[in-house]
Amino acid sequence: MTERTTPQIELSAAQASEFWTGKRKQRFWRGVQTILILIAAFIMLIPIIWIFLAAFKSHVEVYQLRLFFTPTLENFGTVFEEPYDLGSKLYNSTIVAFVTVIFAIPIATMAAYSFSRFRLKFETTILVVILATQFVPAVVIILPFFIMFRDVGLLDTRLGLILVNLAIVMPFAIWMIKGFIDGIPMDTEEAAMVDGSSRLQVIKNIVLPMAAPGLVTASIFCFILAWNEFLFALFLTNREAVTLPIGLALFRGEEGDLWNLLSAAGIIIMAPMFVLALAIRKYFVQGMTMGAVR
Amino acid sequence: MRDQTLKYLLVLPAVLVVFATAVWPLIESLRFSFYQGRTDRGDFPQNWLGFENYEWAFLYEPAFWNSVYVTALYTIITVALTTLFALGLAMLLAPGGKLRSGVQTLLILPFAMSPALIGVSFRFMFNPEFGLFDAFFGVVFPPLADVSWLADPDLAFAVIVMADVWGWIPFLTLVLIGGLASVPQDTIEAAQVDGASGWRVFKDVTLPQLMPVLAVVIILKAIFSLKTFDQVFMLTNGGPGTATQTLSHYIYITSTRYGQVGYAASVAWLMVIPMMVLTYFYAKFVFKKD
Repeated sequence: MTERTTPQIELSAAQASEFWTGKRKQRFWRGVQTILILIAAFIMLIPIIWIFLAAFKSHVEVYQLRLFFTPTLENFGTVFEEPYDLGSKLYNSTIVAFVTVIFAIPIATMAAYSFSRFRLKFETTILVVILATQFVPAVVIILPFFIMFRDVGLLDTRLGLILVNLAIVMPFAIWMIKGFIDGIPMDTEEAAMVDGSSRLQVIKNIVLPMAAPGLVTASIFCFILAWNEFLFALFLTNREAVTLPIGLALFRGEEGDLWNLLSAAGIIIMAPMFVLALAIRKYFVQGMTMGAVR
Repeated sequence: MRDQTLKYLLVLPAVLVVFATAVWPLIESLRFSFYQGRTDRGDFPQNWLGFENYEWAFLYEPAFWNSVYVTALYTIITVALTTLFALGLAMLLAPGGKLRSGVQTLLILPFAMSPALIGVSFRFMFNPEFGLFDAFFGVVFPPLADVSWLADPDLAFAVIVMADVWGWIPFLTLVLIGGLASVPQDTIEAAQVDGASGWRVFKDVTLPQLMPVLAVVIILKAIFSLKTFDQVFMLTNGGPGTATQTLSHYIYITSTRYGQVGYAASVAWLMVIPMMVLTYFYAKFVFKKD
């Protein structure tokens, strides 16, 4: 760092004018920044807006590059009719995501508490392995599952999808919940134990209520991951257990893509995720990076 | 129950799940890679081949090398572009205020959009007849007016890069804003008082402080770029030809369309190796903090 200049009390005329141009310059740059921010926000939203608009267009209007049109709700009805039957995919997605979360969160919470409050043998190794499994390409671990499911009849079942989805969700859940429990001060727990509570009572009566918002956040996060999961569902389902993201392929007809229907289906897939993502926006980054950047 | 027993009992179910859903299939994949494994020939896997699957990939499969090339180029370009744009956007949004925090909230939205859906929307927007981007580029730069983006190998590659960069900028920006918040404000102010220009302050004060976060972001993005599948599948399905066929897509095709699971497993394991290197560095950064 260079040394600071001494404060100057008297401003010469030149300095005064420089002060003013400086201020104007500052205001100019602030304006430029605002414009850049607005442009960036717009670019980020275009694909979403475009899909949103197309979902309300008629079959004919999609093929015209127009901003103004008579909106229709027809597409949202059509996608649930034969032959598309998006309802069954919606049902599959909902069941798979819910059950995945219901299994993952309690198991992850138990482990997270232990990692947070105790010293375990090989603790770091176990945590690194769990972290690393998040980075393994899905395409690698899906091959053995594909063969095994084929042999035991789990191909194209919701149960099969739930099992493999646990692979995606577990590392996130464990690290995220560990982060929340790390943040809960230990004194209440210790005081309760001095008063004669057992460790399990402490977990049930003190830790779980205090960690509840964190558990909800982690559940939502895992739900989004399971809902948007694509590759496992692509490999392991073909008729019965098809989920929403794979269902998008339905709208690729022989005469090309049916964009208005695709868009309507897209809205049905992403709308609930928008709401959930906004609900946990504070923790989104933390969940994705697992507390690496805090 | 004694804590000594309890602490391991609590971890056990999670370890079992991780083992069953990630470690076991990883090892099983490795085993497959040494066998002839074809789904259309009854018992699986069939004959022990040793390293023949790997040899086959290296020596006789131009498609394998093509997908390595596509993936490497894709990773380098998307990591560089996403990081640069996200850094710029983070610098713009970090100071706070109503507009800025509003836009920060908007950044969550694209992230709720699954990669598959991003692929769909970009295919839509680059449609040569009525695509929004197609029309836009035609107006800005007329020679691009009648181009079929997804039919041209280089342009299709450019489009999958654009879709990926678009999808990841928000997340990286949010991480970097978090990083910028931890750069001590008084150091920056001190530098400004000393008359350092905006660029100098950024280069000499902000950037060095941001380095650890930036490193984590780059590693994380590289990992996700390497395994890209969803949006490529929905956007170009590897085409035209194999111009946008990433490794994940190549493995998908060889294992499902051609049923060569043993061979696909060997390629998949070749993919695990760079992933392990990156994960090692990532874990180093994560645990350095504790």
